[in-house]
Amino acid sequence: MSASSSQALEYLELLPRQTHTKLYEQPSTVLAIFRCMLPHLAKSIVMAMLYMTGPFPSGDLDAWFKPDGKKDKEKALSVLEQLHIILGKQDSQRHISYELYKGFAHSLRQALTGGGTHRSFGVPSSQLDSNKVSVTFLDEYARKQWENILFYMVGSTVGLTGSNMVGQDIGEGTKALLRAGDFVKVAHGRVSITRTGFTFVLQETNAQVWSLLIVYLKHAPQLGMSETDVLSFLFMLGSLELGQDYTTSTLSPTQLQMLEDLSAFGIVYRASKTSQTFYPTRLAVTLTSDSGALSSDSLSSSLAPSSRSTPKGFIIIETNYRLYAYTSSLLQIAVLSLFTKLTTRFPNLVSGKLTKESITRAVKLGISSSQILSYLTSHAHPQMQKNQPFLPPTVMDQIRLWEYEGERVETTNGFLMKEFATESEYRDLVSYAESLGVLVWRNDAKRLMFVDRIEQISLYLGKRKNRGD
Amino acid sequence: MNAIDGTDRQIKTEEVPPPSLLAIVLDTNPHAWAHLSSTLPLSSAVSALLVFINAHLASGNANAIAVIASHTHRAAFLYPTPSSQTSKSNANGDVETNGGEKGNAALENPNKYRPFAIVEQEILNNLNSLLTETHELHLTSTPTTLVGGALSLALSYIAKSTLLASPVDTLVSENPLSALADSETMHAQRVPLTSRILIVSVSGDLANQYIPVMNSIFAAQRKRIPIDILKLAGDTVLLQQASDATGGVYVKPERPEGLLQYLMMAFLPDVTARRSLVMPSAGGVDFRAACFCHRKVVDIGYVCSVCLSIFCSPNLPDNLCLTCSSYLSLRSAQTATPALIPRKKKKKKRHGADSATPGGSTPVGSSTPLHG
Repeated sequence: MSASSSQALEYLELLPRQTHTKLYEQPSTVLAIFRCMLPHLAKSIVMAMLYMTGPFPSGDLDAWFKPDGKKDKEKALSVLEQLHIILGKQDSQRHISYELYKGFAHSLRQALTGGGTHRSFGVPSSQLDSNKVSVTFLDEYARKQWENILFYMVGSTVGLTGSNMVGQDIGEGTKALLRAGDFVKVAHGRVSITRTGFTFVLQETNAQVWSLLIVYLKHAPQLGMSETDVLSFLFMLGSLELGQDYTTSTLSPTQLQMLEDLSAFGIVYRASKTSQTFYPTRLAVTLTSDSGALSSDSLSSSLAPSSRSTPKGFIIIETNYRLYAYTSSLLQIAVLSLFTKLTTRFPNLVSGKLTKESITRAVKLGISSSQILSYLTSHAHPQMQKNQPFLPPTVMDQIRLWEYEGERVETTNGFLMKEFATESEYRDLVSYAESLGVLVWRNDAKRLMFVDRIEQISLYLGKRKNRGD
Repeated sequence: MNAIDGTDRQIKTEEVPPPSLLAIVLDTNPHAWAHLSSTLPLSSAVSALLVFINAHLASGNANAIAVIASHTHRAAFLYPTPSSQTSKSNANGDVETNGGEKGNAALENPNKYRPFAIVEQEILNNLNSLLTETHELHLTSTPTTLVGGALSLALSYIAKSTLLASPVDTLVSENPLSALADSETMHAQRVPLTSRILIVSVSGDLANQYIPVMNSIFAAQRKRIPIDILKLAGDTVLLQQASDATGGVYVKPERPEGLLQYLMMAFLPDVTARRSLVMPSAGGVDFRAACFCHRKVVDIGYVCSVCLSIFCSPNLPDNLCLTCSSYLSLRSAQTATPALIPRKKKKKKRHGADSATPGGSTPVGSSTPLHG
């Protein structure tokens, strides 16, 4: 589970049960959710239960886990329950046992064995395409489209608008979507980037794609599309093969409409709007896989080990706060200039310095220090990657200190839980919240605790009430 | 402000579990499978294995697989196909070129996730050709299987993949030897590829391969590669020792027909997941060794004082050690030791308080019955 897919997971968790049930009808969706959304141990649990004939008693499940793995178990189970993948049942003797939801289990088995006639893994075009495009072309296309979007957002802030360097404009639909997702705001005909926009720009490409698609999903009902249809199409895209053309004849009207929008993002490529085939680009096929896993390319023979749409690792930072970036991409330079005082530019290199001024300016714009650090870490030069951690610790600490100078108070939205009847009840709930990772603050003397999410806790409380009295 | 200290420094410790490589050694000994055919025919075992492989591939995006058949007369890769046999299966999964029309149809099946289809197709093709190449001559020559060779193939494949998986790719390709030389020190800096070996074994009596298998076990131990054993039939001292020494899983299913469930539950969790799971292990392990002269499992043996080779009888030709040719007169050792030896037997490493003597309960080298 990477940072990018965790966003999608958060979105998925909030969907109602009906949507989940509907989603799980498609084996490709189930497989994609299994592959990239579930925590590692949850996968083990699901697989162990997949071919089990009866329900899995919770006692046996506890016995399977080592005592110190209890925290991970709780986390895995809570994700699985939230996604409506497993169902905890209580029998008459109050023994809890778990079983997989039928639809999910069925689809996952189909995905593993390749049975059924669901045709959800994409139907390759049967006709020979006379002008078949190459993988390099697709990569180039995807990169161009995506950089256009990013540039549209960043360009105005760093004062590069109107410059003809990135000629093409992006479509009206995309612009509307960016506004709807609160990534940019338009005032007096001038586009300016927002705080969420910064978060967006500084993410990895894969995470960016997901953020944009989630905004797309949230606005799908307004465009008259069904959420489930959109989601399952996205998951299908993730399981397609790069460089293969697929036919559009089996797609639903919603999906055809999506295809147009997606080709504007550079996620799929179509020769023309009426073309009978479409090609998924690298942005699409990495939707459900880890962009960070460098090794995947060299290991699996099915993926061509070619350069990614964004070149990996070009930034070197020294302990004296000097920064060198081996890039000639205007976009990268624009992003860097958000928080760096750039001084020199060479044909393939820009150099500059991280200063208190430049960082505080970035913080004022709404960029947080952790965003800067994660950007620098994910783009660290291979030479930097030999160190552990990648960035010099002094620089990391200083960037944070500069940020903290401005803000002394941190706010978290959440729920205060108080007036526990007994000490044991309090302890129990605190440890449960801790294992879920939602506990923000606690005060043992006053029996107070503060959590940032309540759904699982209230479920747990309800269950305990049933069991207890 | 207090939050800024050393503990907070690692922004985000990588939560993504490292990619895991699973090398499966499938024992394809025809004698043993013929013996098992009433409960679990090879075909259903292979289909269970294929589902298991798909499950493994699905458990991590960068997970990889290698399948090696340990046959009666040779050990062969089933997946990935050795490059000399295919017409270059590279990049975009263009393997269909050699599969003909039929292979094409299978690969373009819209009901199947493509990577799964490719792996499945290759394994089945290779297994098929391996079985058709087997002649009666091969079968009559030996009743057992070349697990030692298959294990070393698996180990070498893992070693190669581990090097390839390193993120400092350029460094390795520039000077692969230096990377090999200090692989111990370099290891910490790379994204580690966690590997494990699963041996699906059906043949008994592997004592004649004691030395190669033991060497592979020690290599695996050193490289921290767990060897999991799924023992469908037969009983061997050797494989128990393999899983025990490398910290792997040992399962001898009571009901082989439920193979898939055993695979899914006990063998699917990778090294990362095993940290928080309780995995089945061999329990009472038989630590007896096989002698170097007749490849027999022995309770009491004679050990060369120079090279530590084990012999079952004191009658060595010319009183020279068979392995290192140093002078070794065992006759004196035999006469000089009166009735004390049987009580001491041999130093046994025991696990926990398990007091059952494995030597007594295990039949000595129950060999695979010859079939047909």
